Amino acid sequence: MEIHKTSWPMRILVFVLFVYLLAPVILVFPLSFSGDQVLRFPPSFWSTRWYSALFANSQMLKAFWTSLSLAAIVTVLSIVIAVPAAWVMTRLKFTGRDLLFNLFTAPLLLPTIVLGLAILIVFASFGLLATMQGLVFAHLVVTLPYALRVLAVSLSTQDRACEEAARTLGAKPLTVFFRVTVPMLTPGIVAAAALCFLVSFDEVVITLFLTGPRISTLPVELYNYVYNQADPLVAAASALLILLTLAVIMIVERAMGLGKAFVK
Amino acid sequence: MPTTSAPDEHLRLEGIGVSFGAVNVIPSLDLSVRKGEMVAFLGPSGCGKTTTLRIIAGLNKPSRGSIMVGGRDITHLPIHDRDMGMVFQSYALFPHMDVSHNVQFGLQMRNVPAREAEKRAAQALEMVQLGHLAHRKPKELSGGQQQRVALARALVIEPSILLLDEPLSNLDAKLRDEMRVQIRALQQQSGITAVFVTHDQVEALSMCDRVVVMRGGHVEQFGTPTEVYERPATAFVANFVGRTNRLKGALTAEGILTGAGQQLRSATRLPAGAVDILVRPHRIRLQETGEADNKVQGTVSTITFIGDLVQYGVSVGGEEIVVEEATRRGRSPLAAGDSVTLGWSAEDTLIYPAGEK
Repeated sequence: MEIHKTSWPMRILVFVLFVYLLAPVILVFPLSFSGDQVLRFPPSFWSTRWYSALFANSQMLKAFWTSLSLAAIVTVLSIVIAVPAAWVMTRLKFTGRDLLFNLFTAPLLLPTIVLGLAILIVFASFGLLATMQGLVFAHLVVTLPYALRVLAVSLSTQDRACEEAARTLGAKPLTVFFRVTVPMLTPGIVAAAALCFLVSFDEVVITLFLTGPRISTLPVELYNYVYNQADPLVAAASALLILLTLAVIMIVERAMGLGKAFVK
Repeated sequence: MPTTSAPDEHLRLEGIGVSFGAVNVIPSLDLSVRKGEMVAFLGPSGCGKTTTLRIIAGLNKPSRGSIMVGGRDITHLPIHDRDMGMVFQSYALFPHMDVSHNVQFGLQMRNVPAREAEKRAAQALEMVQLGHLAHRKPKELSGGQQQRVALARALVIEPSILLLDEPLSNLDAKLRDEMRVQIRALQQQSGITAVFVTHDQVEALSMCDRVVVMRGGHVEQFGTPTEVYERPATAFVANFVGRTNRLKGALTAEGILTGAGQQLRSATRLPAGAVDILVRPHRIRLQETGEADNKVQGTVSTITFIGDLVQYGVSVGGEEIVVEEATRRGRSPLAAGDSVTLGWSAEDTLIYPAGEK
């Protein structure tokens, strides 16, 4: 093992970068315990009143549950669709495969505002605006490319010999898929699921076009809230969201090690 | 290549060919393997040996030709119905199953009841001395142990043919020697027909009943290890299997004349013309005192000590001949510049039409 001595200028540079990246995230926590009527740093006195206000806000709570169930449904659907799709993309050879793959992952490159408008126009004619189904479909457009990318990478680096070994041992193609390919893909599936969950839970731009008084998600509700007033309730909500994100990441980390799930 | 089928024939390839577009990777291959024998496919990389093995397993499709096992045409049978046990170069153990379940997999696919599958897997693991590791995950095992699990997994289903794709190439030298002996012993105990792909001539010669030497998608020679070594059909086989000296010469009515002007005798008959003369380094005696079919004078130019043997480079009329001698204690070695008389027999003088590679 070689131990690198990092030079002092380098350490300072890294420290400054970290502060720059993390300061807004960290600042949210003291702000959320502010006792003031408006967002101000540093707060003039401390209290937990904005947490109480948040949990008393039925609209926020409702939006939170909508976001949570929406993200869960979108995550499950993304994986169920993307695993077979990624398998086809990496295991079968057919003309136009690369084209199809690029087409499927293209939404990653499109500005979300364009996507949002397009979805609004199409969904309006199907009566999907401000419905759970509409939100699920819209979020799938954004999460599927992520899931497909992550799973395709995992599948293409997977040792094909294991599938071949299973075939020679007498397993039919579908058996090979469920007993060898999918179990070996578990780290990729967990990573893709975590990514889909966070992307869906976090989505604002497209969702803005599709929500209304009947149904709304937490990020959209927070956006609307900030638009009208500037009290530290949003800081309390943000602090809880950061903790939720950390929890998801830690579950992935516990399940298989972060490095293994995301970097492969 | 003889195509009449032997009575104990088990596997037969008939006119197997593989083409990618206009490129003939394997032009046409005929082969007959007897029941219970172990045959090696030996050749340099790209000679088509692994492709042929994968065609037998069904993992690759041939462009033409047919595969028969026990008289039955299996050319169009899907992989999972072929009943082959295959050991992969990377072992290809299922990382998410423990050792025992890896071995049981093939039995489960054959709908063997759980309890019996467990018992047979345990026996198979006992056979490769790994019974105590049944509940480990593959990644907790050493390379040699993984290799033995792969072997047990392939053998437990009692396949009609055992296919081995360079199974020893990822092991270190000492383990490779052990596994050679073990694989051969298991194959003979079970009396299973086996095909072994390797680029290592030692593995091919020491483990197999017969050796198929391949090059560029066709068979150069198919024979017993002794035949392939002692009577190589082509200069390529002689070069690939064992080491050789190669001299240029001409075959005339009087005999063989080397480029340097020496007269040599060979037991091989060929029409007159330019020839390549091949002699194995360890078949040449360095200080010939008695009678020999072929005797030439030379000067020692290089000496390389390899441990088991000493390699001498002897310059003979401008050409370099390599001579190998087993090392022996208490024997004064030669020095560079010493003059020597090389001697070898006519049987050890292999000649081939010139230009053959």
